[in-house]
Amino acid sequence: MYLAEVKLSNIVKKQYSYKLKSYSSGFTSLIFIQMIAILFSFNGSSMMGGGSETFSYDVKYFTGSMILVFTMLWAFIVGILITTKAYRNDDYSFVTNQAASQYSNILFLLSACAFAGVTAFLSTHLFQLIAVFVLKDHSFMMQQLTVGEMLKGLCASYLYIFLLASIGYFAGMLIQFNRAFVFILPVVIFGLLILEGVVTGESTMLFKTGIFFGDETSFVLFAIKVIGVSSLFYAAASFLLRQMEVKA
Amino acid sequence: MNVVSCQGVMKRYGRGNALRNLSFTLAENSITGLIGRNGAGKTTLLSIIAGLQKQTSGEVRVFSENPFNNLKVSANTIFIHGNMTFPAAMTLSELLQTAGSFYHNWNNQLAERLLEYFSLDPSQNHNNLSKGMKSTFNMIVGLAARCPLTIFDEPTSGMDAGVRKDFYRALLKDYIASPRTIILSSHLLNEVEDILEDILLIKEGEKCLHMTVEDMKEYAIGISGPAAAVESWIAEREIIHQQTAGVNGTYAVVRNVFSEEGLERARLQGLEMTPVSADSLCMYLTSKTKGGIDHVFS
Repeated sequence: MYLAEVKLSNIVKKQYSYKLKSYSSGFTSLIFIQMIAILFSFNGSSMMGGGSETFSYDVKYFTGSMILVFTMLWAFIVGILITTKAYRNDDYSFVTNQAASQYSNILFLLSACAFAGVTAFLSTHLFQLIAVFVLKDHSFMMQQLTVGEMLKGLCASYLYIFLLASIGYFAGMLIQFNRAFVFILPVVIFGLLILEGVVTGESTMLFKTGIFFGDETSFVLFAIKVIGVSSLFYAAASFLLRQMEVKA
Repeated sequence: MNVVSCQGVMKRYGRGNALRNLSFTLAENSITGLIGRNGAGKTTLLSIIAGLQKQTSGEVRVFSENPFNNLKVSANTIFIHGNMTFPAAMTLSELLQTAGSFYHNWNNQLAERLLEYFSLDPSQNHNNLSKGMKSTFNMIVGLAARCPLTIFDEPTSGMDAGVRKDFYRALLKDYIASPRTIILSSHLLNEVEDILEDILLIKEGEKCLHMTVEDMKEYAIGISGPAAAVESWIAEREIIHQQTAGVNGTYAVVRNVFSEEGLERARLQGLEMTPVSADSLCMYLTSKTKGGIDHVFS
C-alpha cells in the first residue's frame, strides 16, 4: 500500500488558499462596512465655531478614524466567525489537523487584515477626496504627509486591525470551548469596568489599555506590543482548540 | 497488513458510553460493512478511526499510527458523512478542484464524469443542493479521492433508489479499478450485502459479530414448526430469536451448529429448516428485547 507522506507546511499552504476562496463573502462585507463608515464620516468628527456681530465661522474636522474603527470591528467579527463550528468543520472536510487549521487561520487573518488595512487606507483617501468635492465652496486645509509617514500610518492601522482580529479569534475560541462564555465574557469585561469605577471612583482600565498601545511613540515598540499580545491570544486559542473534537 | 486495528476502545459521552471495549482489525484492501442500529455507535467509531475524535480509553491504530489529530492519517483517509460541510461561497467545481489539491490520488476525470452522470451542475453551490444531491456530491468526492482508507458513513441517506443503486455499482467498479480499504456503514444490510466482503456488527457500542458475509449466511438457521416440537428442539441451544408464527407455531433462529444428520432428524419431526439471511440475522442480533415491537402492544 502506498501512503502519501505530507508536510505540515504544505497542508497549511493548501488550507490557506482554500480559506481565501471560501471566505470571499467576508471581503464583500468589508467593502460594505467601509462604505457605511465613509457615509458616517461626513458628519465630521468634531467641530467648533465662533463669530461676532459681523462674521461667524465653523471649523469641522474630517478624519478617517471612523473608517478605521469600523474596519477594526469587522476584523473582530471575522476573528470570531472563523472559530465557529461551521467554518471550523469546513477544514476537516479535507486534509487537516489542529496545527494546520490553526496556522492557516492565522495566515488567513494576517492577509485578511492586510487587505482590510489597505482598503481602509484607500477609503480614507476616497473620503477626503469626496469631502473636497462636496465642500468645494468652503476653504479647507489638509495635512501633508510624507511617504514615510503614510507607510507608518498604514502599518499602524494594519497592526490595530490585526490586534482586534486576534482578540476576536480568542474570544470566539473561548465561546466554542464552552457556550457559557457568551454570557461570561461580556459580564466579566463590563463587570470589571463597573466594579473598578465603583471601588476606586474612576474607571481607568479601558483608558490604560488604550494608553498601552496608543501612547507608544516608538513604532517598533508598538509593533512588538501588538505582535506579542496577539501571539498570547493565539497560543491560548490553540490550547483551547486542542481540547476540542470534531463532531461528525 | 492491518489498516485499522482497535484494542479495547471505549468512548464516553457525558454519562453514557458510546463505545465499550471494542476490539477488531480490518485488513488491507477489503470492503467492510459496519452495521448497527441507530445509536449503536457507528458514527462515533468512524470518527475515531478518521481521527476527528479521541477515544476515552483503548488503542486505535490506523496505518500503524494513532489517528487523532494526525496529518498523515488525514491525508490518506477520507471520511464521508452526513454532517460534512463545505463553504457556501464555493461552487461544486471549485470544491472538486480543492479536493484535488489535497488528495494525492485524486482522479479528476472520474469526479467530473460522475458529476455529469448524476446531473449535478458544476456552477451550483453545495448549500443549495437537496439532501440527496448533497449525499451524491459527497459520495463523488469520496470515490474520486481514492484514499487508501475510504470511509462512508450512511452514504446513501436521502438518495433515491436509482442513485443508490448506481452508487453501489460505482463503488464496486472503482474498488476493482483501484483497490483500497473501504468501510461502509449502513443500517440497511440487504442493500449493501452484495458488495461487502466482511461485516462488523455492533450493538450498543459493543462488537456483536465480525465475519465474512459468506460465514454470516451460514451462521444461523431458522426453525419453524409446531411450538412444542420447536421448543424441545431448541432447548439448551443458543437462541437468537424466537417468535410465534401462525396458530400454535413457533419460529426460532438458533446458531447453526447442526450436522447434516441432525437436520435430517429435525425434518422428520416435522420441523422446517430455513436459511437466515444476513440482514435478518443482524436485525435479530441487535434487537433490543427478545419480544420485538409486538411486545409493546401486547
